[in-house]
Amino acid sequence: MSKVLHSADLFSRLVKVTPYCLLALLTIPVLGGLMGVMLPAFGWAPALNKTNMSLAGFNVLWDTPGLSQMIGLSIRTGLISTLIAFALMIIMLAAFFNSVWLKRIEYVLSPILVIPHAAAAIAVSFLIAPSGLFTRLFSPWLTGWQLAPEGSLPYDAFGWSIIIGLVLKELPFLLLIALGILAQPELGKKLRMQHQIAINLGYYPMVAFFKVVLPNLYPLLRLPIFAVLAYASASVEMPLILGPNTPPTLAVAIMHWFNDVDLTLRIKASAGALLQLAITVGLLLIWLLLEKISAMIFSQSLINGRRHYAHQLVRAFTYIVTCVILVFIAAALIGLVLWSVAGYWRFPDTLPSNLVLLHFENAFTHIHTPLFNTLVVGVVSSGFATILVLLCLEAEQITAKPLAKWALLIIYLPLLVPSIAFLFGIVWLQQLLNSQHAFFNVIFVHLLFVLPYVFLSIADSYRRLDPRLARVAASLGSSPWKVFIQVKLPQLFAPILIAMALGLAISFGQYLSTQLAGGGRIATITTEAVTLANGASRRTSAVYAILQMGLPLLGFILAWGLPRYVFNNKQA
Amino acid sequence: MLANKFWQTLSRYSLFCVAFCICLIISFKSLASTQLQSRWQQVEKLGKDQSVYFYAWGGDAQINAYIQWAAEQVKAKYNIELVHVKLSDTSEAVSRVLAEKSANNHTQGSVDLIWINGANFAAMSKHGLLLKDWADKLPNFIYTNPENNPSVLFDFGLPTQGMEAPLGQASLTFYYDTLATSSPPQTLNKLLSWSKANPGRFSYPKPPDFLGMSFLKYALVVLHQHSDAMLQAKLNQPANDKNTAQVLDPLWTFLNKLHPNLWRNGEYFMQSGVQMRRLIDDTELSIGFTFSAPEVPAAVKRYDLPKSIRSYAMADGSLSNTHFVAIPYNASHQQSAQLVADFLLSPAAQAHKQKTAIWGDKTVLIQTSLSAEQQGLFKTVQPHPSALPLNSVKRTLSEPHPSWVEAINTGWETRYGASQ
Repeated sequence: MSKVLHSADLFSRLVKVTPYCLLALLTIPVLGGLMGVMLPAFGWAPALNKTNMSLAGFNVLWDTPGLSQMIGLSIRTGLISTLIAFALMIIMLAAFFNSVWLKRIEYVLSPILVIPHAAAAIAVSFLIAPSGLFTRLFSPWLTGWQLAPEGSLPYDAFGWSIIIGLVLKELPFLLLIALGILAQPELGKKLRMQHQIAINLGYYPMVAFFKVVLPNLYPLLRLPIFAVLAYASASVEMPLILGPNTPPTLAVAIMHWFNDVDLTLRIKASAGALLQLAITVGLLLIWLLLEKISAMIFSQSLINGRRHYAHQLVRAFTYIVTCVILVFIAAALIGLVLWSVAGYWRFPDTLPSNLVLLHFENAFTHIHTPLFNTLVVGVVSSGFATILVLLCLEAEQITAKPLAKWALLIIYLPLLVPSIAFLFGIVWLQQLLNSQHAFFNVIFVHLLFVLPYVFLSIADSYRRLDPRLARVAASLGSSPWKVFIQVKLPQLFAPILIAMALGLAISFGQYLSTQLAGGGRIATITTEAVTLANGASRRTSAVYAILQMGLPLLGFILAWGLPRYVFNNKQA
Repeated sequence: MLANKFWQTLSRYSLFCVAFCICLIISFKSLASTQLQSRWQQVEKLGKDQSVYFYAWGGDAQINAYIQWAAEQVKAKYNIELVHVKLSDTSEAVSRVLAEKSANNHTQGSVDLIWINGANFAAMSKHGLLLKDWADKLPNFIYTNPENNPSVLFDFGLPTQGMEAPLGQASLTFYYDTLATSSPPQTLNKLLSWSKANPGRFSYPKPPDFLGMSFLKYALVVLHQHSDAMLQAKLNQPANDKNTAQVLDPLWTFLNKLHPNLWRNGEYFMQSGVQMRRLIDDTELSIGFTFSAPEVPAAVKRYDLPKSIRSYAMADGSLSNTHFVAIPYNASHQQSAQLVADFLLSPAAQAHKQKTAIWGDKTVLIQTSLSAEQQGLFKTVQPHPSALPLNSVKRTLSEPHPSWVEAINTGWETRYGASQ
């Protein structure tokens, strides 16, 4: 008995420390990294023999030709893409709430979640380019084009191509998060019942969703939306492949300055990174403001008792939009597969003139090391993240104190602070600590991006666990450790697996962080794919994109299939 | 009598003196060569059985395969583990070494060997990031005949000071789609009129991309072909506030005429030479160019370009330069890196590299300094129809001083960086 008490004590003590570990793990690198760009931004760069603090970097930045256009493009694409992705997610949820179609759409969209941004951008650009699949379908029999026509997509100055790419990538993410929230046994059941009651009271299903479900759902979606907005305003891969370049978005310009051979440009780049930070923060504030305004406008209509709006119209619109998105995604995937096996494929042929396996064969001869690295880094970082997050959530329950609001913000810090702003600083920090272990460095930086997503995907399920079961177990004399392992974790089997799969997918997709933290020594499937996307054929890129999709998809299939298999067996 | 005796003694002494000096010189020379030999023995001793992290652009499958081949060779010869760190831009390695220097990591650098030339070399040498005085002491360096071959001692006009060992030579090669255009322009001027007749079918990568910058330098040098000698000489001198406008103005006039007829009306520029190649495969463009001529037939073989592609060199000249390998000052395995650099310079490695099926990169070795057996390694085989025909480069244009890269870049960015 005393032994049990002792071990319980040890477990509880260990658990109580983990939240602090977690917070330190997230804040120190991000703030340290920010420090590492802040100092050069204000002119302190000993490597360039500059140690006088000054605003010269910012002066050079203001003089950059087209700076206002860069800022405008970043704000425009970030805000519009997030708004569209959010709106689409809401109307799709509303139109298909409680319908089997929601599950089906989720199945179709979830592969998109795990395609790295660079690969998705390549697939999208092939569809919308003047020589893309869409024009090929209509040439030459309708258009008479023998050579690809002139067009403005992709690379259009307004940024529509970036917006299309971002929406296609972020919509599945938001939808999956929302479905994850609705899948929680308690909350999901409550919302579905309330929805049903509203329908019984004569509300049309979509109206019932907007008036009953959405107000309860939105607060839980706020941070994921912020993460999407922050990412969209400061990402590099999509605008690099789909965006204009006279001038590009601010984040892309900063990356070019950081990589420029003229090393003094690094001061300007650091100043730009701080400007990017300000823009992202500004966008988040704008979103909060929009939130307040719409709450004010719609608070009356929530309780006005109207059961019916332009219901049929919205519903038809949703169906059409959903179809368009699904067709677009299907075409992109088909294009990807065709390119990966294409021999010669001249415009305006709709199909390749011959099919070859050469591109796959070439890829497979080089793939062993990157595949091994990808798996090791992904499994270690997402496994460690899952354990840390679970212990942290257990600490919350043992101390009966929910995490403070600021602590929650810190968990999302790596998602809210643009990575372009702090990654370069982290590399400098790692150099300072003389950390030579490339594997460790990469896993450490991946952890920064994996942790928030894993937390995001488990936290609510954990907090909504029925406390009565744990209480019964404890009152029967089980130690906290036993309750944790034997009572709580089995209930969380499915969410944990999905969180791990999400963590793997996030880790698999990291490009900038892998490249910088590993000093280029840790080749993963993604670093290879992006290097090849910049340096080789669309055919090889398509092969790597398919491989990139295949890996995490395997994880998700396991995450969905395993619980069913296990529980079916148990029932049998 | 006395004076006579004095002269006799003096002349005898001076004879001794001269003899002594000759002996001294001979012994110094042999001492120097034995020193060089013992230096190399030392390098071989210290450099064996280690790893070399070779930071090299990794965007071309053929080049990657060549480096893989070299890795197998040095593994067998010196038991060196050559690891190719594939970069999408060489400047990533430059920033890495700089970051290490700023963190006071002066001996444990992660980069052992780097494939480099031009502006990257200028930046590294300016900031003291490279190891000096080793390249000219490599045993295989004599085959480049450095006394009569300045191209291995100067990198875009900058003296290499033993910081770089030459690897190969490249010149700007154009290629076109015969189904889209039957008579491609042979000069810069004709390129302008051709693009007027075929709007939207030509463009160049956005500077500071290496290839886009090379096109602008080609245009600049050609535009000054008929300028007076004073003005031409300025291309080989550093750019400064005074001469920039005078030298670059013809280029801006030319580009102002060219841009409206470029792909996307010159409002968007592709990111890289490979994107240009993809656009030619997509038939959006009809003419492209590359600094690595063998890339073209290789791409056709890999289906990345149609069979209707042909290569050619411009009649008004081809911009040419040498590319090198260098060792950072803080490299962890400096001796091993030298062993690899020496192997890459060996006749066997250079001949293998020059084969069109392997890489097709022109050797830096001079045939006359090789033995008959070594020369035999370089014999050619039947080229691919899309490859650049042998001896098509009639006239080479040398690179302007590297400082012009920044001047062109800044000027380009102000004029065309932000389209309205």
